[in-house]
Amino acid sequence: MTRSAESTDEELMLLYRDGDAGAFDALYARHKGGLYRYLMRQCRDKAAAEELFQDVWMNLIRARAGYSVQAKFTTYLYRLAHNRLIDHYRKNGHVATASFEEEDCAAIAELPDERERPQDETLDARRQAGRLMELIAGLPEAQREAFLLQQEGGMSVEEIAQATGVTRETAKSRLRYAMVKLRQGMLGWR
Amino acid sequence: MALNERNVGNANGDAERDPRLDRLYHEAAREAPPAHLDARILAAARREAGARPRTLTSTLRRWHVPVSIAAVVILSVSLVILVREEGGEQIVPAPVPAVAPPVEQPGATGPQLALAEAAREATQPQAAAPASSRHGPRDDIKAPVVLGKLADSAQPQPGPPVVSGAGIVATPESAAKPLPQPFLAAPRVAEERAASSRTDAVTAGRMAGTPAASSELQGARSAADAPSAKAVPRAMAAKPPEQDRLPVWHGFEKEPPQKWLARIEELRRQGRAAEAEEMLSEFKRRFPQHPLPAGLR
Repeated sequence: MTRSAESTDEELMLLYRDGDAGAFDALYARHKGGLYRYLMRQCRDKAAAEELFQDVWMNLIRARAGYSVQAKFTTYLYRLAHNRLIDHYRKNGHVATASFEEEDCAAIAELPDERERPQDETLDARRQAGRLMELIAGLPEAQREAFLLQQEGGMSVEEIAQATGVTRETAKSRLRYAMVKLRQGMLGWR
Repeated sequence: MALNERNVGNANGDAERDPRLDRLYHEAAREAPPAHLDARILAAARREAGARPRTLTSTLRRWHVPVSIAAVVILSVSLVILVREEGGEQIVPAPVPAVAPPVEQPGATGPQLALAEAAREATQPQAAAPASSRHGPRDDIKAPVVLGKLADSAQPQPGPPVVSGAGIVATPESAAKPLPQPFLAAPRVAEERAASSRTDAVTAGRMAGTPAASSELQGARSAADAPSAKAVPRAMAAKPPEQDRLPVWHGFEKEPPQKWLARIEELRRQGRAAEAEEMLSEFKRRFPQHPLPAGLR
């Protein structure tokens, strides 16, 4: 097996496991941005996010000898990140862990109907993006995580379920409610 | 609110993806880890991997199969060449014997019968001697059927000579004892058999190929060297009996060198190069100081 631009993440990780440091460079280049943003949005603290980011990659490096292809690489990577994040929450007594333990989908009824906003408020793309980021930040941790995994990891519902250690239905529900809230929040921002 | 209920209801379908949100998010989300973090992680990854072992192992792994195949091919070709060379030496046809040995005749031909007759005559004096003095402890050994047949076919005198041959064939202990007189009727053949293990094969071939009395008699003669003629491989048995033929220089032992040279020349003219060479070798051995003609050097 040789490394090329078309090599899959799993092939690159196997190459790195077998000692090809260049394969890790390619793998890191592909996923560093997504993982970093995922951690940044979940932590909301740049220093903590960078520490977690480094820890996740270090854990991956240390675990390389035992790596075998059992799932998509992104699922494996974000599973490491999710676990590290949960540890971080617990260590810091973060209240966000609550949203991972209880579904908060009922809270969707409390969201304001953004269609009631005046339609003449036409915003440029930058302001729309800013609004979206605000909405994302306002999501419960679990729903935000599901959305970020979809966006940054390019993961399906099944893969989100695997990465976060929940059932497919739970993952689907989290993602669905996240999307509904974001759509609602963006309705008047066109 | 009614709105929220509708939204949740829509989410049951294709609500997991929204192209507008995707586009907006990716336009907004452009943060990247700082360079120092990249450098630290990549350095750790390289440190962990170790560049040198990777190159070595991947190179070895890449060349593992081709090198194995090449080694197998080289070994096979070498083996084939070696076997062919050795086999070629073995299957070089033996020179045609100058005098056809009587024992090679397929049937009970004249020379073989004469040999059998001579053997029978030679054993007759021993038949008169006491059995104990002739054969000692072998007297109590029963004669095999094959020698009984030999006795019948050759019309021998009853008893000892044939029984003696049977004892030699049947008992390993007899192999170490000298052959009885009848079976030393052809001393040259006996000597060659003692000198070469291939004699067994020759004898076995004769036993397999010649019928009746002559075959059995020859089998008895070779028994001292061949405890079990059946064990001799068939391929070896098919070899020409080089040991039995007379040397090409037979009859020239007391002749002067000139006659040797004339005979060698004659053999060469007849195209019997191997025999000529054989006789020339013997000539050189016997007359090392004698000058050779130009054609023979």
